[in-house]
Amino acid sequence: MARSRTPYESDAAFETRLRKRISKLILFSTAALVALLFGFPMYFMAVSAFKAEAEILSTPFNWLPQEFVGLYHFESAFERAPIGQWYFNSVFIAAVQVTAAIFFGAMAGYGFAKFHFRGKRILFALILSIMAVPFQILLIPLYVEIRQFGWHNSYAGLIVPGLLSAFAVFMMRQFALSIPDELLDSARIDGASEFRIFVYIALPLLAPASASLAIILFLGSWNNFLWPLVVAQDRNLWTLPVGMTVFSQPYRGEPSVGPSMAVSTLATLPVALLFVFFQRYFIEGMMVSGIKG
Amino acid sequence: MISLYRRVWSEKNVIARRQYWGLIFVLPCVIFFIIFFLYPLVTGFYLSLTKYTLLRPPVFIGFDNYANLLKDRLFLKSISVTLGFVVGSTAPTVVLSLFVALLFYQKFPGREGLKLIFFSPLLPSVAVVSVIWVVLLHPSGILTNVVRPLTGKAEITWIHDITLSPIVIVLARIWSAMPFYMLIWLAGLTAIPQELRDAARVDGANRLQSFWRVELPLLRPTAVFVMAVSTISAFQGFALQYVIAPNQGGPVDVNTTLGIVIWKYGFQFFRMGDAAAVSVFLFICIMVVTGTQITLGRSDRYSIN
Repeated sequence: MARSRTPYESDAAFETRLRKRISKLILFSTAALVALLFGFPMYFMAVSAFKAEAEILSTPFNWLPQEFVGLYHFESAFERAPIGQWYFNSVFIAAVQVTAAIFFGAMAGYGFAKFHFRGKRILFALILSIMAVPFQILLIPLYVEIRQFGWHNSYAGLIVPGLLSAFAVFMMRQFALSIPDELLDSARIDGASEFRIFVYIALPLLAPASASLAIILFLGSWNNFLWPLVVAQDRNLWTLPVGMTVFSQPYRGEPSVGPSMAVSTLATLPVALLFVFFQRYFIEGMMVSGIKG
Repeated sequence: MISLYRRVWSEKNVIARRQYWGLIFVLPCVIFFIIFFLYPLVTGFYLSLTKYTLLRPPVFIGFDNYANLLKDRLFLKSISVTLGFVVGSTAPTVVLSLFVALLFYQKFPGREGLKLIFFSPLLPSVAVVSVIWVVLLHPSGILTNVVRPLTGKAEITWIHDITLSPIVIVLARIWSAMPFYMLIWLAGLTAIPQELRDAARVDGANRLQSFWRVELPLLRPTAVFVMAVSTISAFQGFALQYVIAPNQGGPVDVNTTLGIVIWKYGFQFFRMGDAAAVSVFLFICIMVVTGTQITLGRSDRYSIN
């Protein structure tokens, strides 16, 4: 890498240049090692989905499948379990929850940011306190409540308790604070009703700001494990995270490492695509939310 | 005069009436959270004072559940398991993620690409993480072969060994959590004005001194946040222990965290009262951490603003 010294270079200048090169090289190799360590399990998952069962666990590790089995593991996974149904459930639940949380979150956030009404402070304190209480605390009483509604083991039970998000309200309020009052007032003078102003003026202004919020809400719903685990007893109501963990156990004595890696890859694919195409929003969202913790 | 007065009055009225719209806008959310947050939060405390098996209505028994928990072997075990998981995963995660953040804060060729690879554990859900690690931890799998030069063993039963299984679960947790905390540290580092580093340099500080005396004190709010968030999330450890450990929290309960206990009492034994009491205990633990975070984070003697 280091070019040999140029004729007009002093000893000292050459030495600093060399030293800089070496320190860059050390930095690069350390970072490469760290990246390898952290990237390996994901690579292992993806490549194992296309390897023969015996090869997955064999040593030494083959970086590329020696015997490429194509979509064999994917097919056998779909044969053994209703993966398609689980995939649909996960997508459906996430779509409904993200849409509802964004819309009602925007509405409440707009209400908190742009209006002054009695009880506003205490209601906003309620929203903030929700974010401080972990879900596990609510698990038992929420399940008891859902049972009373007759919603256990149903889509309603899976979807409704996670329909709205306090975090979405909080973020939307932050975004809505920056909407100029003059804009809203001019619409009022033109005689628009408050609801129309929200739908046609506030909502479009909030939409672009909510990209990272939508990604975070999607991840929260897509990755949710505990709630669908306890609510859905019926196999056909399971979501991908719940289904795949049960599925990863050996099946009729047959090893199922390959299919379980195939399902893992399928479950990670939408998130990976989001990461690739919306990297900035993805990372931004992660940082403001802290859900991954 | 009167007409002017009336106009002012009615304008005031319009503004006052408009403010009710705020209430209308927040109402759907507020009602939702009363039903699906406040109500269960309160009934959770009530349920912890009852005997309730889902078959018959709850029977009020005072603090009996709590008294019983003090003698409950599984619950007492789960406290030490949870604390082990919290300390074992938080301390390395916080320190190592700072090191990685410092590494990627430097300039070198290939940095952005390597950083993306490092971020890849952000993608899988905790269920996927667990499933991947189950395969990595296969008795004659990758990890066994990596450490083979040291151990000389061809087979290691990682997840069925009572000493090894909590350790490998902590490893899985560190792997999946580190990129997120690295991101937070990196944001903290980026927020430090370059002038401060330059000033330290001019005053004759070397790199290490500048880090210890300038950057680290300024990173204090970040440090408090990172520690609190990772502690709180480790307190809720559940999915890794549920999926990776044999029999949900095994072998012989060495991975039975408070979260696993809540699930076991609630959904295996249907002892809702006991499960609710454990939830209240977990709630108190987490509130203590949150309270500490607020207290420590408040003194912003060192913060930039």
